[in-house]
Amino acid sequence: MTQPLNILLIDDEIDFVETTGKRLARRGYSAKTALTCAEGMAIIATGWPEVVVLDVMLPDRDGMDCLREIKEKWPTLPVILLTGHASMETGLHGLESGASDYCLKPIDLETLVEKIAIAHRESRAPRS
Amino acid sequence: MRPGRFASRDARVWKETPPRRKKSIRVEFTRSCASAHVRYRFSFFTAFLFYSLDGPASVMLKGNDLSEQPNAGDQNMTFFLDRLTSLFRTKPRLKPTELQAAFRAHYKDFRALLTANNNALELMAEMEQALTAGRSFGMAFVRGNCTALSVNIYKMIHHLTRLADGRYTELDQPFRAITRQLEQVIASRSANTEGAAILSMAEVDAGMVDQVGEKMANLGEVRNRVGLRTPDGFVITATAARHFIEANALQVEINRRLKGLDLDNLEELYTVSAGIQSLISNAPLPAALAEAILAHHQQLDTNPEAELLVALRSSALGEDSSNVSFAGQYRTQLNVSREFVPQAYKEIVAGKYKSQAIVYRQQRGFRHQDVHMCVGCLRMVEATISGVLYSRAPDDPRSPFVIIQAAPGLAASVVDGSASSEQLRVSRTPPHPIVHRASGMEQGRSLTEPQAAELATVGVLLEEHFGAPQDIEWSIDRAGLLYILQSRPLGHSVSEEAQESGKHRATTNDLPGPLLAGGVCASQGVGCGPVFTVRSSLDLLRFPRGAVLVIETPYPDWASLLNRAVAVVSETGQPAAHLATVAREFGIPAIFGMHRALATLENSSLITVDATAGKVYAGRVEPLLALAAPKPNLMAGSPVYKILTQALAHITPLNLTDPASPFFRPDGCQTLHDLTRFCHEKAVVEMFTFGERYGFDDKAAKQLVVENSPAQWWVIDLDDGFTPDFDPESRYIDLNHITSAPMQAIWQGMLAFPWAGPPPVSLGGFGSIIFQSTRNPNLDPAVRSAMAAKNYFLISRNFCNLSVRLGYHFALVEANLGEYLTENYVSFQFKGGAADENRRLLRIRLISKILGEFDFRVEQKVDAMTARIEKKPAPYLLERLTILGYLLIHTRQIDMIMADEGMAASYQQKIMADLHTLMDTPTER
Repeated sequence: MTQPLNILLIDDEIDFVETTGKRLARRGYSAKTALTCAEGMAIIATGWPEVVVLDVMLPDRDGMDCLREIKEKWPTLPVILLTGHASMETGLHGLESGASDYCLKPIDLETLVEKIAIAHRESRAPRS
Repeated sequence: MRPGRFASRDARVWKETPPRRKKSIRVEFTRSCASAHVRYRFSFFTAFLFYSLDGPASVMLKGNDLSEQPNAGDQNMTFFLDRLTSLFRTKPRLKPTELQAAFRAHYKDFRALLTANNNALELMAEMEQALTAGRSFGMAFVRGNCTALSVNIYKMIHHLTRLADGRYTELDQPFRAITRQLEQVIASRSANTEGAAILSMAEVDAGMVDQVGEKMANLGEVRNRVGLRTPDGFVITATAARHFIEANALQVEINRRLKGLDLDNLEELYTVSAGIQSLISNAPLPAALAEAILAHHQQLDTNPEAELLVALRSSALGEDSSNVSFAGQYRTQLNVSREFVPQAYKEIVAGKYKSQAIVYRQQRGFRHQDVHMCVGCLRMVEATISGVLYSRAPDDPRSPFVIIQAAPGLAASVVDGSASSEQLRVSRTPPHPIVHRASGMEQGRSLTEPQAAELATVGVLLEEHFGAPQDIEWSIDRAGLLYILQSRPLGHSVSEEAQESGKHRATTNDLPGPLLAGGVCASQGVGCGPVFTVRSSLDLLRFPRGAVLVIETPYPDWASLLNRAVAVVSETGQPAAHLATVAREFGIPAIFGMHRALATLENSSLITVDATAGKVYAGRVEPLLALAAPKPNLMAGSPVYKILTQALAHITPLNLTDPASPFFRPDGCQTLHDLTRFCHEKAVVEMFTFGERYGFDDKAAKQLVVENSPAQWWVIDLDDGFTPDFDPESRYIDLNHITSAPMQAIWQGMLAFPWAGPPPVSLGGFGSIIFQSTRNPNLDPAVRSAMAAKNYFLISRNFCNLSVRLGYHFALVEANLGEYLTENYVSFQFKGGAADENRRLLRIRLISKILGEFDFRVEQKVDAMTARIEKKPAPYLLERLTILGYLLIHTRQIDMIMADEGMAASYQQKIMADLHTLMDTPTER
């Protein structure tokens, strides 16, 4: 069921990204982490990530701006927004800006893994 | 086919030349109506479904008198017409490869829409449950679920719009309107959370968890609603803690220090934890807050003779409070004098970053800044003796005694296990004698009998109030007054002490032998009252207040009795049944599956129902009633509860129940549930008509070739539902070329048991079906399209949507068994039927009941029902599909016999027996 996907976690909560990164790796995923948008963009530019999990609040810039820039440059790269602060407004803006999904912390790994896999699968299929 | 059955009475049946592949029979009826003598003639083309196992799922009727009363509300017909009309939207012709790509794209959107629908429906069910189950939840739950829900519905609209080549964009308007309203409901709370920095204990109750944390909210409840003595004092709220942290801009620095922290490196963890705690402890309190704290402290200082000492107790907010293992982790500071109050407060706030707390939150994904440390500041009790009181033995929620641990001085010493103490078991029943005492205390300092009895009374009272066994801290002061310091749910971990008390576990020696035993607990509790058996709707009206409802089957409709009943006993049914859910909501004890209840329990005889143990006793059994703990919903009336209630008003009511209604359109969507319903319906229609709309033969309907079935079953492949060797040009397909697991499972259920033959039908039953037919315009061949007369499977390897007209009712089965649990579900809709309304309702109830037993979440509205199961593994769902397949075939006869409850019961038994056999049979796939 699990594909060995390359996952990039962009989140400034280093404890969260590191724990999650390790746990994803244990499930056969390759995970890289970035603490800022700029750092994340640099990794995306290498073409390595297949799915991005992006925190809405980042130290260097607004996560939504970061999302918009990622989707502008790499429109087919699926991005899942993950945030500790639920906001309907941000959620809907996120989807409008091209996010594949919008999830809330705390999220159990099982759910996150499914969301990553589904976002990746959807990004492979053609668009109508 | 057994035409002869009709020929004998007032119908004559004969064979007719079959049109094409269909065999058919023609029936002529002469029927007397009560009001007028009218002669109707009908032709049935093979189709008399109620009487033919393998007849087609449609009935063709020709009548002379069909147009008198157009039945405006036939959803199903319009559902099909809708599908049909979308055939005529013209599309540019595409090349085969383009078509294939376009189709795949549509299918991808369809699948994504289904997953979003699945998530949305699950979220709605979860929110409704939170409201009724009485568990505590905070604003984070409400905000989080509303957000997740709106995100999923946004996705549904988005995918539908693409699926429909740009149509339905007008859904955006109702969606925006509803989400705006929801945002307003949620925002109305945000203003409140910026509440007072300090609240007096006199104003605190259980509804204020969001302000004062759970520990202090419970203590306020004990003081102000239960009316027991608690120390005077006040709570420094979450708002205050936030101000303190923000005023010093501490969070950024705290997060910085936590960054990169390796949880496995304990030394580093303790160093960072200690550093953060001293950072907080050394930050200055905002002047206004310090003044306010001291001003409230001043008010407590009423005795000029002695220095006022207070206890500062942590009351964390924002963590999963049901996790008992976390209790006691935060600090309490005792005997704090005035000048040290501000410092002690800061230290307790700093305790939020104790190392275990950091680890706990991180593992659970809580953000540190979302957890707030509320602090209770309470006058110290000059305790002569203190301790802990369990309202039950921790390992036995049924134990007939409370357990008291007592030690001289302050309660903390007992909690710490540091003082020499004594342990008592005291009966829960007045006059609360001491059953057992194990004392390590000096003579003359131990608990007196009246004190033990008072504590037992308090334990029973608090357990009743909070609806669960309690773990209570207490002190008795020099004046002999009892103070409650804390009350929280008793965790059922098996502690050393519990094992000790287990040796003295309550026996049931003092209970009489039960009248009945072996039932399943559908709703916990004990109730006592006279038996009242309900067999029909007539009995409903005569049901007396305070009686025990005794029934054969837990029909959802009996729910209206639950506010008058004290308990429910049902011969059949499972805890998942709707009636059980409602019983739990009302806190009415209920036993289901109690065999021989009707035969054993005499009307108006007094019985005691012990639902928790699944037993029924004759008469009034006081020891059991003493155990009864009604579970009040303590959240009810709190601000957060009100907000969830208001939010749900924009979410769950379903107004668009009828796709045929003129209001079934985007601007008719008033709630998020309406939007899901609309999007799903239209998405299915879009997929259904794709092949025809685009002239795409590969994706057009193929007729299923089944031996000995004149029924017409048509199959549309959505993706990979046909084997690769199937010739796409062919107009027919057989089962061997179907790869769809869900379709095969349904089919298996349909054919698993031969239909037992026509039930003996009373003329009244049959007549009522015919009478309905005459008023039903979609039974007129002139109105019906060829398409509408067929049953359709839309399939892929993992997906199946089956729309069926079986006789006069309409059914829709849909299932997806994807790669991921998130995508999995089975749903079933069932509506209509030819017999009169009463029979239709009885049938729907029967189906609801059966599905409830197989764990479906069933909703019934008049004569329409929906049943769903989400996010279960494929083998489990395939079993459910087989059950649905069986029910599709075998319930179509039920209308006819439903007037006779005895027969209905025997059919029900047969059905359940068949289904259990079916589930034990290995699935062929």
